[in-house]
Amino acid sequence: MKNTNYCIIAVTILMITGCAHTQYSWQNYDQKLYNHYKNPATYDQFVEDLKNIMEKGETSGKIPPGIYAEYGYALYEKGNFPEAIKYFKKEQDKWPESNVIMTKMINNAQKKTAQTGKQKESLKSNKSQVKEVAK
Amino acid sequence: MIRRFLIIILVISLLGCATTKPYDFSKFNAAKPKSILIVPIVNRSVEVTAPDYCLSTITIPLAERGYYVFPVNMVKRLLEDDGLSDADLVHHASVEKLANLFGADAVLYVIINQWDAKYMVLSSQVTVDLSYVIKDGKTGDSLWEHNEKMVYVPQNQSTGNPIGDLIVMAVNAAVTKAAPNYIPLAREANNKAFAFKKGQGIPPGPYAIDK
Repeated sequence: MKNTNYCIIAVTILMITGCAHTQYSWQNYDQKLYNHYKNPATYDQFVEDLKNIMEKGETSGKIPPGIYAEYGYALYEKGNFPEAIKYFKKEQDKWPESNVIMTKMINNAQKKTAQTGKQKESLKSNKSQVKEVAK
Repeated sequence: MIRRFLIIILVISLLGCATTKPYDFSKFNAAKPKSILIVPIVNRSVEVTAPDYCLSTITIPLAERGYYVFPVNMVKRLLEDDGLSDADLVHHASVEKLANLFGADAVLYVIINQWDAKYMVLSSQVTVDLSYVIKDGKTGDSLWEHNEKMVYVPQNQSTGNPIGDLIVMAVNAAVTKAAPNYIPLAREANNKAFAFKKGQGIPPGPYAIDK
């Protein structure tokens, strides 16, 4: 009885390791996304994880689909629009299937860059107005 | 004699029913999707965290099957920004419009039918039951439908001592109760549904190595 149990365990391990050969370098992407959903406060950790997956994928040449975009979107949410555009473009170049949505995201990021630029300008002019009033 | 004959016929006819028909992939093959959009998962279980957890397990097996899979977290956030945070709403929205929004060839809808752990005094059972539908982004037609149910019952190894066995069983049940782990079951369900092996699951996509 014990022998059969060992046999089952051995076969299961063989099957699992046999299945583990993947064509992309995922670096436990699923587990990392799960951690993020389990504890949303660790968002920065998730962004860092995405960066690691991306870098390792670039080294091995097995970067999974969606990783550039996911990382770019994290930067977009943090308000770093120029960097976000960089990674949206990388996704677009690597995966032509992403062209439609990446074009939209790049346009959105460009609009936001222009907006933040204007906000800074208006802030500056406000300040100078304040200065003038103070004079 | 006649009775025996009838029984034999009955057995043969039953066996005939039992052989599963090969899935009709003609629509799927005609549509030939290259990219698949995974939309937020509908939850019919009582576990509120199930859809997000389940969502994290779908990308890898589908991408490994050779498809471009849209980044699930970005998709989820973008839909939320568009007022589509409710998965039921997304599942009832027009397939063509959704596909158009992202430029996807096909859309995968997943429904959680069951995601629970049942506890008896000395044993417990974890169940994950998922329904999958892939729809054509151009026509909205269903290209593939599948249901996968996974049940996990912790194995109690006999120690040879009946009282010892009872303690082990009780501990196993308590551990499962404290933190039932659905993720390995969900992963297994996805792997079985999409399948890496030939002639199973969905046909391989354009990036599949092993066709």
